[in-house]
Amino acid sequence: MKKKYKFKMDNKQCCVTLSVQPSRGLVDEKFVVLVQNTLPSSLLTIHALHRCEDAHSWHAFAHYTSDATGAVNVSEDCSMSGTYSGVEAMGLLWSLKPVPGSKPGLRMRKKNVQAPMVVTISVYKGHLTEDFGDRVPLASVEVERWYMAPGVRRIPVTEDGLTATLFLPSGPGRFPGILDLWGGGGQLVEYRAALLASHGIATMALDYLTCKYTMETGKIVEKDYFETAYKFLQKHPKILGSRIAMLGLSLGTSVTLKMAVYSDVVKLRCAVCINGSHVQPMDGFLNEMLNYFTEHCRNIHFTKDNEVVWRDILLPIPTDLSRKVDVGKLQCPLMLIIGEDDQNWCPCESAIDMKVMMEQAGNSHLLTVLSYPNAGHLIEPPYTPHARSSLFKDVISHQKFMVLWGGQTLEHSRAQEDAWRKLLVFLRKNLYGDVKTGASLVSNL
Amino acid sequence: MFRVHLSVNAILQLTDIKMKPGFSVYRKLAGLEWLTGAVRWKSNTRPAPILTAAPVRALIDEQMSIKGHFLPPHCPVTVCARMHSDEGDLWQSFAHYNANESGVLSLTRDPSVGGSYLGCEPMGLFWSIQPAPGEREGLRLRKKNVETPYMVHISLLEGHVSPSEQQITELAAVTAERWYIAPGVKRIEIRQNGVVGTLFVPPGPGPFPAVLDLWGMGGGLIEYRSSLLASRGHISFSLAYFGHKDLPSPPNCINVGDSYFKTAFQLLQDHPQVVSDRIGIIGLSFGCYLALRIATRTGVQPSCLVCINGPMGSTVPLINADGRTDQFESFQEYWNFDDEGRVIFKEISLPANLLPESLVKLEKLDCPLMYIVGEDDLSTSSTENADLIEKSLQSAGKSHLLTRLSYPGTGHLIEPPYSPNARESMWVIKPKKLITMWGGHPAPHAAAQEDAWKKILDYLEKHLRS
Repeated sequence: MKKKYKFKMDNKQCCVTLSVQPSRGLVDEKFVVLVQNTLPSSLLTIHALHRCEDAHSWHAFAHYTSDATGAVNVSEDCSMSGTYSGVEAMGLLWSLKPVPGSKPGLRMRKKNVQAPMVVTISVYKGHLTEDFGDRVPLASVEVERWYMAPGVRRIPVTEDGLTATLFLPSGPGRFPGILDLWGGGGQLVEYRAALLASHGIATMALDYLTCKYTMETGKIVEKDYFETAYKFLQKHPKILGSRIAMLGLSLGTSVTLKMAVYSDVVKLRCAVCINGSHVQPMDGFLNEMLNYFTEHCRNIHFTKDNEVVWRDILLPIPTDLSRKVDVGKLQCPLMLIIGEDDQNWCPCESAIDMKVMMEQAGNSHLLTVLSYPNAGHLIEPPYTPHARSSLFKDVISHQKFMVLWGGQTLEHSRAQEDAWRKLLVFLRKNLYGDVKTGASLVSNL
Repeated sequence: MFRVHLSVNAILQLTDIKMKPGFSVYRKLAGLEWLTGAVRWKSNTRPAPILTAAPVRALIDEQMSIKGHFLPPHCPVTVCARMHSDEGDLWQSFAHYNANESGVLSLTRDPSVGGSYLGCEPMGLFWSIQPAPGEREGLRLRKKNVETPYMVHISLLEGHVSPSEQQITELAAVTAERWYIAPGVKRIEIRQNGVVGTLFVPPGPGPFPAVLDLWGMGGGLIEYRSSLLASRGHISFSLAYFGHKDLPSPPNCINVGDSYFKTAFQLLQDHPQVVSDRIGIIGLSFGCYLALRIATRTGVQPSCLVCINGPMGSTVPLINADGRTDQFESFQEYWNFDDEGRVIFKEISLPANLLPESLVKLEKLDCPLMYIVGEDDLSTSSTENADLIEKSLQSAGKSHLLTRLSYPGTGHLIEPPYSPNARESMWVIKPKKLITMWGGHPAPHAAAQEDAWKKILDYLEKHLRS
């Protein structure tokens, strides 16, 4: 150990402590960030730094003044400025933004769910806004954020032509099941499924646009692909076939609604649809749906920053029943989660129309609508950064666009937190059915 | 572990599941657990209850909240914890609970009515864990590899049962990780200037206060308390002095003396991230005597000492002024044996039996001292040594330096909290098997560990940081 420089007794720096509890948490778990032993009323900046899997750096920071004991508690104290302000226990995570100089259009998405997201949280003297890398912090800790609890099993599924990953919770089961669908970006996106399994629900993430079948044949899958996925869950010995739900975001909503209403095979216990629409051509399925979008692309427009806005493609909502799912025929509870500032789809207008249809059919008691002002399209698990726009590769045209998703960061982050909590309550209520539930349903969130 | 006495066909009929040939993936998964689960719980109509633990990845000294949901109201259940030690032995604990009228169970709120512990004990499953029936005798749970967690499989069993029973139905399970090290803490092996140890450095630029960590005559290099202290923001240095392959010595002798410990202390002082005048020493058992000796004889000036259940003089004859000892197994005059042939070392360290020339001159102590006593300590005469320390400091007009903690029903091995006490364990296997008594009863010892650890951490904060 080289003797570099010595710290004198009057150097109070060794006193400053920074702690984050828990230091290893699930992505949707809150933590407490505590700074202690600074001088009373000192100006401090708390900073978070994360290097994502694509090697981009993200950061967040907030300005505080320590109290009379020299402490700052992020869960109780007010940030004066920074990437978030006010009392925000989790602001250091949801306000993460690409560091200055990053390439535009980034979006943070965890690919490897078996390793944690590592965030370095530091406290600096003064109210800093830049050049954090050039300064030495007073203290610094590392925090792990996991999408997957220990004991959850990750099982790649390739049987029956499926391209999917099943996440099974610990224990003997049997578990209720969820089929988890993302949107038009394709790929096999696992993180939400891993997190749901960490809450005790067997969840299968399904790739339906860039799956093996499509990559090999060039053709889009049909209805039977989803029915096969459903049957796979239904007959799995650890899954209770009578308690299967579907969760879809964006284009995944279109699939979910179609299957929920029209499939003879798929019998859902409940469905959750995030920022999607019931508008789609009734004859045919996914292929026809994608063609429909292409045909209506005259409604696309661009912002002054050249971001593409796709929300008007399906508008106005047709009155013609051949162009939308007849949700009046739905027989299971449905939760719609809507970002009112969604610039990519038209979930508000669709929800209004769906509500009218269900009221007329007499099944509106099945409908729950969560609608969030200033939230955008990408309503994801909580405490993860918001992307108002990002670079998106359309799987059909293979073109890259800078897509405007919408949403204002603060309200969007609130929406993510609230929606996730309510989504879990909804799923548990419907998947655990007639079992009497106590006050502490989702107690560890 | 889980055995059923029905034929596979009968089970399949009950559960109405058709096994499709060729589904090798989940057929392997199915196994016996599924079969057992299906028989009793009528799982073709309802899903299994849920068991949760939060946080599910925790440090050893952090509380975990364990809950069960979606149980039938007032349902009797058993919560069972199982884990493997680093040596591969199976440890387990269990407790009997009744779900409330809403079918919810909470270990932070509900009392255990039977099993490894009784009453409301949120962390009872962890501190009451014991070797499973059939495991080797004389075991003690000590983490060797601090860079990996203990994986604890916590399960919910139907009814009030013992895990070793024949027919058990596992209803739900959760796997929890318990860590001795926080993310970002660096582990550095030290073999320098003749000193053998392991250094743990917290993340961040520092500088940090530091702790020298000493254990007893069990020897070796024990890292887990150090790694926890580093996880709480101190640079911590586990020091070997006996029974380590990198410290050559005649058998059963401590072949290092004052100069060795002084060098170790100075290594810490010279570390670029250590504040050289904010270093404490923590010592258990013989490590306690070493801590006192370092503070009063070697010229270094620690900021504080934490001494747990240790003597204030050597229990073994010294062979030189530097403090090296003779072979301690040769001096068995004060070894006592109980009816089962287990050795009780307590009498060796009665003040009257300690080597007079080795008794630490407490009048030379210049730093605060916390002395922790386990009143049921069968290995060291802790109370008597504490009394003598107190008296000596009083005579020297230094009573203000002493903080004394004393815990009834508590044994010798006061370790980080929520880990099991060993009332006895294997001392040596060859030439003849010998078990030694440490003392302590499960519940009071667990309470003592929890309280003492909090007080130790606060004490270190007070004397090393403010």
